[in-house]
Amino acid sequence: MPDLGTFITQTDGRFAVHLLSTDKFRTRYLALKVARPLHRQHVTALAMLPYLWMQGTTTLPSAREVLRYADSLFGASVRTLIQRRGHQQVLEVQATAPEVGTFNGADAVLEELESLVIQLAVNPAHTGDAFPSDHVEREKTLHERRIQSVFDNKITYALERSWEAACAGQPVGLPRLGYREDLRALTAASLWSLQQEVLAESDVHFYVVGKLHDEPSVAAKILNRLRQAFGDHGRGAAGSPVHALAVRRGEVQQVVEKQRVQQGKLNLVFRTGVSYGDDEYVPLLLANGVLGGFPHSKLFMNVREKASLAYYASSMLDGLTGLAVVQTGIETANRDKAYDIIRAQVDALQAGQVTDDELEFTRRGLTNQYRQVLDQPASLAEIHFSATLAGVERDVERLIQQIGEVDKAAVVDAASRFSLDTVYFLTSDAEVTTGA
Amino acid sequence: MREIHYDSLQLTLYRDVLDNGLVVYLLPKAGFQQTFASFTTKYGSIDSQFRLAHQPQVITVPDGIAHFLEHKMFEKERGDVFPEFAKLGASANAFTTFDQTTYLFSSTDHVLENTEVLLNFVQEPWFSEQSVEKEKGIIGQEIRMYDDNPDWQVFFNLLRALYKHHPVHLPIAGTVESIAGITPDILYTCHETFYHPSNMMFFAVGGFHPEALLAHIRKNQAAKSFGPAPAIDRVLPEEPGPVSEPNRTVHLGVSQPRCLMGWKDAKTGLSGPAQLAQEMLTGVVLEALFGKSSDFYHRLMDAGLIDQNFSWEYECAPTYGYSVLGGNTPNPQALVDTVQSLIDEAMKIGVSEEAFERSRRKAIGRFIATLDSPGAVARSFVSYALRGADVFTTIDVLERLTLQQVNDRLREHFAESQRAVSVVLPA
Repeated sequence: MPDLGTFITQTDGRFAVHLLSTDKFRTRYLALKVARPLHRQHVTALAMLPYLWMQGTTTLPSAREVLRYADSLFGASVRTLIQRRGHQQVLEVQATAPEVGTFNGADAVLEELESLVIQLAVNPAHTGDAFPSDHVEREKTLHERRIQSVFDNKITYALERSWEAACAGQPVGLPRLGYREDLRALTAASLWSLQQEVLAESDVHFYVVGKLHDEPSVAAKILNRLRQAFGDHGRGAAGSPVHALAVRRGEVQQVVEKQRVQQGKLNLVFRTGVSYGDDEYVPLLLANGVLGGFPHSKLFMNVREKASLAYYASSMLDGLTGLAVVQTGIETANRDKAYDIIRAQVDALQAGQVTDDELEFTRRGLTNQYRQVLDQPASLAEIHFSATLAGVERDVERLIQQIGEVDKAAVVDAASRFSLDTVYFLTSDAEVTTGA
Repeated sequence: MREIHYDSLQLTLYRDVLDNGLVVYLLPKAGFQQTFASFTTKYGSIDSQFRLAHQPQVITVPDGIAHFLEHKMFEKERGDVFPEFAKLGASANAFTTFDQTTYLFSSTDHVLENTEVLLNFVQEPWFSEQSVEKEKGIIGQEIRMYDDNPDWQVFFNLLRALYKHHPVHLPIAGTVESIAGITPDILYTCHETFYHPSNMMFFAVGGFHPEALLAHIRKNQAAKSFGPAPAIDRVLPEEPGPVSEPNRTVHLGVSQPRCLMGWKDAKTGLSGPAQLAQEMLTGVVLEALFGKSSDFYHRLMDAGLIDQNFSWEYECAPTYGYSVLGGNTPNPQALVDTVQSLIDEAMKIGVSEEAFERSRRKAIGRFIATLDSPGAVARSFVSYALRGADVFTTIDVLERLTLQQVNDRLREHFAESQRAVSVVLPA
């Protein structure tokens, strides 16, 4: 069968089922994604919900029972997580299980896994109109630690802080896990009432990648299950497609943070105003690649190989917000030197100083990356989901085709969209240490 | 070329040993877009003292040199190697472990040409004063990055506590001080000693034709001449059986403590299938006791002593072996005391049949999942193969384990004299 990474989608109101039938994997991948707009008011509580789901369902009332039940389904693994995708907060259940299509009774097992994934989200353990208070107390403690551990990984921390600074005051700038100070006010009842809102007012997506027969009837069956589980009367909540942040006029923001660190982190955040749904997205993807996506890119060659200032120096483009973040880890004393070299690379790119090799290598590198995605079920689903949120139909094959067609003029044009928004520097200071 | 069939996994592996001693394994996977190829030498951070055949003196090289060499192989007189892969649409990388250095590429096109680039750049050393000095700045920043990483720090401090002399306790990248002493001459010596084809293995997995790829590798290698295989005598210091220090604590700019407990194998020397079996057996013990669906895991969770980062691992090599257990905790001492009392309890009552079966099933599921990731297959296949074991026999090995073995191993492994604790506390 052709392996083009093309999903078949069936929708019904706010429910969508995306199926990819393939026989090349040994494991089957399932994901339930429940999307709602980010709001300051609910960001922390919503971030906690998927973790509360793992604490038990009405029929499997503890985390241990959930995990043991999954174990009994041919050693399936199940996890829940929270994601931030553009201005959406996405509550998610993921499961993988060995494909056991040749065994008797295997179909029943896979249906049970499907059912577990849905039950975790829609039927969490509760007592009356509240989550069990012991589940809530435990998850509050664990969630606080989850928030704190972002502080402990300085690369992630610097990325998160520079992102927040660049998007301050807007929903997309809210931290993925929410705020520590919100936790105290959350109660078993308030979380339960939010849970009811989530069931009634969210967009619901269900992904399956694996050996499937008769996809239309599989999709219809899952749609039916979702409708029953989430309720027929709810409505979608995600609203308009995700679009890029507009370029901000005025001064570049400078953020300096001091901590007890051995290595400084210098991040530059650019707004581009271009997102996944825009025509300029693919040229921008190439421009970002030329700047800092690969070991042949300008940042790696100049910050690392020529100036020997850093071990990593790269640029990452977020297709939903249109933010590009340059990240480096440097000796704190080298801050200005590194900054000048990074700026010079962006200037060169915008001035059209892109060699044929740089462009071709980047084109091939990106093509290789996306072709490899065709071998990775979870990444296939993520890319498809991004496109869905941005309101475009662009599967991986189409993306690869477009990457092949972009010319230099278009790449340089797209590069002119890089507008420096925020310079973030995490530095050491013997005197000052900040807490989490 | 020999074909090895794994019927239950529906895999066919191709094996060949070239005239120069290079061992080649090819694993075609139908339907996969990518090919993942690796070229590995049996040479890592622990190989810092060695003697060559017929030479009396022991050569001692700076700590971190295997990793330094890995970095420097990517630079040639003509320039950087990365663009050569980029031109062919491949993504290249490398990594160094305690006992191996691997160079790799993954690509969806031009597999033969990329293989050529891989074989050539790893077999053509070129080092200059200037480029070696430049690399010290880059690796210095890599080391600083690890200095700030609490998970890295708590792990290497545990190894320091477990091992007094064995170089497994030294950081793989060395220290800023140790790498300062690296020169082109020392790099050439190490390359000459450890990068002989007879000390190396080529492995590829993905969508390719094995006959064509093997013919290509043969031709490439036949065109090069190598001296006779050096007989390498690795010199390791005598390591006492018990741990070096029972406790180590450091302070870092973090919000919450990290705590790892480790148990050092008093007896080492396993290799080949016995080592794979030991790894599976010990893994089943640890998963049964502390896996995410175990009673103990949930007791620790209920007591508020751990979070979802709590995990175990076991590493077994011919000259060292240790288990690691732990993660984030608000109270390291309470975690250590509780884990110890749970282990004491387990030693008394033993692992139940049910927990044993669950743990074994989990291990089989985990193994099957790795088969979908060419990168993961390559890493685990090569790392076992260089130690003489075959990772594709994992399921058979697991199925042969008995509850008796599990309980014997449990009682043997968790001895008090073999335990050390490493803690990172907020500064």
